[in-house]
Amino acid sequence: MNTNPTQSSEIMIEMIKASKVYSKDVKALNDISISIANGEMFFIIGMSGAGKTTLLKLISSMEQPTTGLIEIGGAPIHQLKGYKLARLRQKIGVAYQDFKLLTDRTAAENVAISMEVSYKKPQMIRKRVKDLLAQLDLTDKHNKITGDLSRGEQQRVTLARAIANSPTMILVDEPTGNLDAATTEKVMKLLMKCNKAGATVVIATHDDTIFRHTSHRIMELQKGSILSVSRGNGT
Amino acid sequence: MSFWFTVFRQVGRNLRQTWGSQLMTLLTVTLSVLIFAFFYLVYTNMLKWGDRLGDDLSLIVYLEEEPGPELQQQYIKKITTFDEVEKITFISRADAYQRFGKQLGQNQDVLDDLPGDFLPPSIEVIPLKSLRNLNQVKFFSAYLAKLPGVLKVQYGHEWIEKFYYFTKLLSIVMLLSGTLLIMTTIFMVAYTIRLTILNRQAELELLKLVGATNNYIRVPFLLEGLLQGILGSTLGIASLYLLFQWIKLHFSGPGFLNMFQFSFFPPVISITIIGVSILLCTLGSFSTMQKFLRI
Repeated sequence: MNTNPTQSSEIMIEMIKASKVYSKDVKALNDISISIANGEMFFIIGMSGAGKTTLLKLISSMEQPTTGLIEIGGAPIHQLKGYKLARLRQKIGVAYQDFKLLTDRTAAENVAISMEVSYKKPQMIRKRVKDLLAQLDLTDKHNKITGDLSRGEQQRVTLARAIANSPTMILVDEPTGNLDAATTEKVMKLLMKCNKAGATVVIATHDDTIFRHTSHRIMELQKGSILSVSRGNGT
Repeated sequence: MSFWFTVFRQVGRNLRQTWGSQLMTLLTVTLSVLIFAFFYLVYTNMLKWGDRLGDDLSLIVYLEEEPGPELQQQYIKKITTFDEVEKITFISRADAYQRFGKQLGQNQDVLDDLPGDFLPPSIEVIPLKSLRNLNQVKFFSAYLAKLPGVLKVQYGHEWIEKFYYFTKLLSIVMLLSGTLLIMTTIFMVAYTIRLTILNRQAELELLKLVGATNNYIRVPFLLEGLLQGILGSTLGIASLYLLFQWIKLHFSGPGFLNMFQFSFFPPVISITIIGVSILLCTLGSFSTMQKFLRI
């Protein structure tokens, strides 16, 4: 099984025998070992309950592995605390399946939040928010409360928030789950643009339309274990 | 965007979101400070008044017979055996008659038909300051009453005793209101901050996710407690000052209250009460953060 990154020699994400056990009967991940290169686009696929979301949570350090080692940019994340951990999270853009939007705030406020925590200038935040919402066809939703938006629109706001702070790593969970074909294409283009700009992009999905023609590496999970890691046959 | 700008914006947002409970907390803190400061003010004024009373304290020892020079020396010796005193004055029947006449002023003619020796001779004993504790004065009085030839000893004990118990009661009320101040400031602020934290659970989780530092998340809550302390205690002290001025204005002139010379706290006491309240509110907010804000 080839789990070596091929795009670059510099490793962004290193997982060595990482496992996550929630309780005796719930083993979410089992001995995951994978290296993802800096600037690589990487797909994690598998059925529901395969462990894709848990894997993203471990990488974003929102959860700690029960056993094993996870390093981000060479730093073991379980050793990071306080300011250093916060700085790391600022460099990671995450779009979870459950969105984690503030439903009583506008789309613009939700996107801005990731830049506010790193004290970006207000005029720069306003410009970036406007640009991103335009790229995702959400210009008219700028001042709309996210609780009033459709699932698809909420998903795009989540994605905009994940990439707003120009992170070096983007983790996306089921980015096209609620989108039509045209919007899916726009979202994927945006993610590819971020990847071309140098960001490492990890996409967890079960939607084969987005990885069917990819030339990037694809890791398949099954019941918390790696089933296969292969390179896509796209161009 | 600076750290403090975002922190103050967050504080403003928190206050807007939970303004109802914030207002209730502010009122509670204000009332607690007002109640405590009121009793403390009354207590300190009563102590001052008590001090002034103490300055005038004297024991009058009424004698059966006018003491001769030798007996006077014996009485002086016996009195000073108990403790040193500030002054001992022997008052003869004639002196007592004269004094009484002076006290009667324009009505002294009522004494015209009375013999000049109808009042008993006495000894006026002014105890030392150190002896002016009520219990010691009681013992001293009992000691003097047992001396041979003494009819009775008078020092207005009933009145002084009542005043002593009144100041004791005030000190207990002050302690209770102080406890109320501590409880309400710490617990009410802690409760409000807890409500804010629960209200903002989703946002706090998101802030962690996008890389907000601990200070970014915690400082607004700490500032909320601080703000409650500053506003609540300042309002409490200001209300007491206004109340004090109102009482002074409306109850000045002859009357019961005029017997007391009420004065407001010196600035340093007001600042100390405000400072302690701020500290307690911040402590309340800090303790809640430690318990409920796991970052």
